[in-house]
Amino acid sequence: MRRTGQLRKLQSSLLTRYLLIIIVALLFIPVVLPLSLAGYDMYNSWAGEKPPEEYALYSNIAGLEEMWHKEALELHGQIPEAISSRLQKLGRSYPLARMFWVDGQGKTRLTLTPDDPRMREELSTGMIPPQWSAAEAIAFMKESAKQDPLAIVAFVGDEMDAGEGFMVMQIPAVVTKAYQFKSVGSRYVIVLLVFFALFVAVSWLFFIGIRKRLLRLQTAMSFTGGAGIPQPIASGRADEIGRLEEAFNSMVAELSASRQREMEEEGLRKRLVSDLSHDLRTPLTVIRSHLHVLGKEALSQRGQESLQLMDVRIDSLSGLIENLLSYNLLSSGRMTLKLEQKDVLRVLRESAAAWYPLWEKEGFEAAVDLEAEPLYWVIDESWFRRILDNLFQNIVRHAHDGQYVGVRADVREGKRVIVISDHGKGMDSASESKGAGLGLSIVDLLLKRMELEWRMDSSPQGTSIVIGQAPERNLNKI
Amino acid sequence: MSVTLLYVEDDREIGSAVSADLREREYAVRWLESGEGAVEAAAGCQLAVLDVMLPGLDGFTVGQRLKRAYPGLPILMLSARASIDDKLQGLEFADDYLTKPFHPDELAARIEVLLRRTGAAEPSPLVLKHLIVYEGNNVIQEAATGREILLTGKQFQIFTYLLRHLGQILTKEQIYEAVWGEAYMEGDKTLMVHIRYLREKLELDPAAPEIIETVRGIGYRVRA
Repeated sequence: MRRTGQLRKLQSSLLTRYLLIIIVALLFIPVVLPLSLAGYDMYNSWAGEKPPEEYALYSNIAGLEEMWHKEALELHGQIPEAISSRLQKLGRSYPLARMFWVDGQGKTRLTLTPDDPRMREELSTGMIPPQWSAAEAIAFMKESAKQDPLAIVAFVGDEMDAGEGFMVMQIPAVVTKAYQFKSVGSRYVIVLLVFFALFVAVSWLFFIGIRKRLLRLQTAMSFTGGAGIPQPIASGRADEIGRLEEAFNSMVAELSASRQREMEEEGLRKRLVSDLSHDLRTPLTVIRSHLHVLGKEALSQRGQESLQLMDVRIDSLSGLIENLLSYNLLSSGRMTLKLEQKDVLRVLRESAAAWYPLWEKEGFEAAVDLEAEPLYWVIDESWFRRILDNLFQNIVRHAHDGQYVGVRADVREGKRVIVISDHGKGMDSASESKGAGLGLSIVDLLLKRMELEWRMDSSPQGTSIVIGQAPERNLNKI
Repeated sequence: MSVTLLYVEDDREIGSAVSADLREREYAVRWLESGEGAVEAAAGCQLAVLDVMLPGLDGFTVGQRLKRAYPGLPILMLSARASIDDKLQGLEFADDYLTKPFHPDELAARIEVLLRRTGAAEPSPLVLKHLIVYEGNNVIQEAATGREILLTGKQFQIFTYLLRHLGQILTKEQIYEAVWGEAYMEGDKTLMVHIRYLREKLELDPAAPEIIETVRGIGYRVRA
């Protein structure tokens, strides 16, 4: 089983496939070249001109040579007349060839020329001297080396030492070349080029396929969906890239599983917080409704005041619960903020509109100056409102004496900021309703999460809180 | 005929106290201790007050079912859970949202606003200083002379939007986007111009407006 698995792996491997292409390319030379030559020849013999039938006798040059040497051997020791008559007989069998023989003294004994005038014409170049000198013999051999005409020379007796001269058979080149390969034509070059182009195309396709898949993988890796996790990709073939894709998919699956777990944890914590909130607020609601019933009874002035104080305390207790639970959520880091680009001046205006009736009721002078170009910061609107609520709440509770609340857009050190100020006695003064500063801790946590910075200047003349964008993080700073 | 309210609250102490208070304010109250049967019980009611945390079906589910069955029924959610997500989820279908511990007076005030906004209450004419507004008939009269004041489409829309949020301060963006239905561009004077014309028609002295009050730096308000 394992072996078949390995085999399949090997079969589907990119390396195997590339090796296959290379092997095919190597086969080009010993296999494809002769194959293409043969194919070309077949094409030629089918489509090209066929040589005349009588040429067929001269197609096998090696055979002719063998025949000639055999005849020469057989003529060993024969008288010149016998040699001449044998040659004449041979001349009739090979009518297209010129034959002659020269005896041991260098005298040309017999010359047989073909009857065909065309062949005679072809053979007319090399003249045969009646008496051969050494120079003429060498000149003849040199001429014969050109193979036009083809000369087959054999010593009578098939050895030089016999001293009986030599015999020559000359065949015109037009006859011998008819069966040789014609010179490689331009068409053959085209066939070769086509083969080469095919090889290049196959290689190119192979690599373009790999490239495409790698690019797809890269896109899938760098393109993250809404959850910030890349989408799994459809896995293709079971080769190296396919396995890489699988590995990528399982990584994505693991990532989303861990994100899922994180979200579940966040959900659990939120549930816990809401349940706690419910359990704490329900009795407060009951108390408040009883206070309300009590308030309708006939009570003394002191009794009424006492009731009112309780009512106020219920409000602050409720605010405290809210802050406590928010702080729990925020400090755990389990809270996801929905950060969006928003016009904070607009949010500020809406928040001030909600608080204005209370300021009015408490006799505060509200100086709201937000007339400016929209100021876009990346914030979570709901939580930004909570920040403002906490700050305004602090002013109403702790800076009541100042009877002033200022909300304005300003520019500090070249940066646009928002400023919330009061004319209270400052943070250091003891306030009746001073708490553990949970509200400001939440403000601090939330502003940091929104990458905003804030500064509080508090003096006995009042407190002002400046909120601005945090300077861009300088990575070079230590 | 009194207004009937559907009230779903599982905590008996709160439920009986709130029901008693609302009855004292002359509302007929149908109090259920769970969401079961809320849709049937809502027949003939003019408003529903739902607690979020209920045994069985939670308040959000009940609310969504009620909205499907009676799309015009205003719903006020009461919650002891105050996390922001809850508020957003609640406000998707609910018309208003109140966090416990709420003051009975505030609950009553919110109910009144909702009934007025949806026109479920008896359309009693609204008296604003020297004006009488018949909201059901879209008629505005000068109380002293009985003369009807005619407004243009946009002026009327602005005025109605302010009346629907009586006592509330509305920012210029909120008014512009509610009336024109498109995003407000900073520096756009259209709304200011319309309000000036509106004041010329409504106010006794447009230079010292009494009906449409300017809240400096924030927006506009029509006080009850």
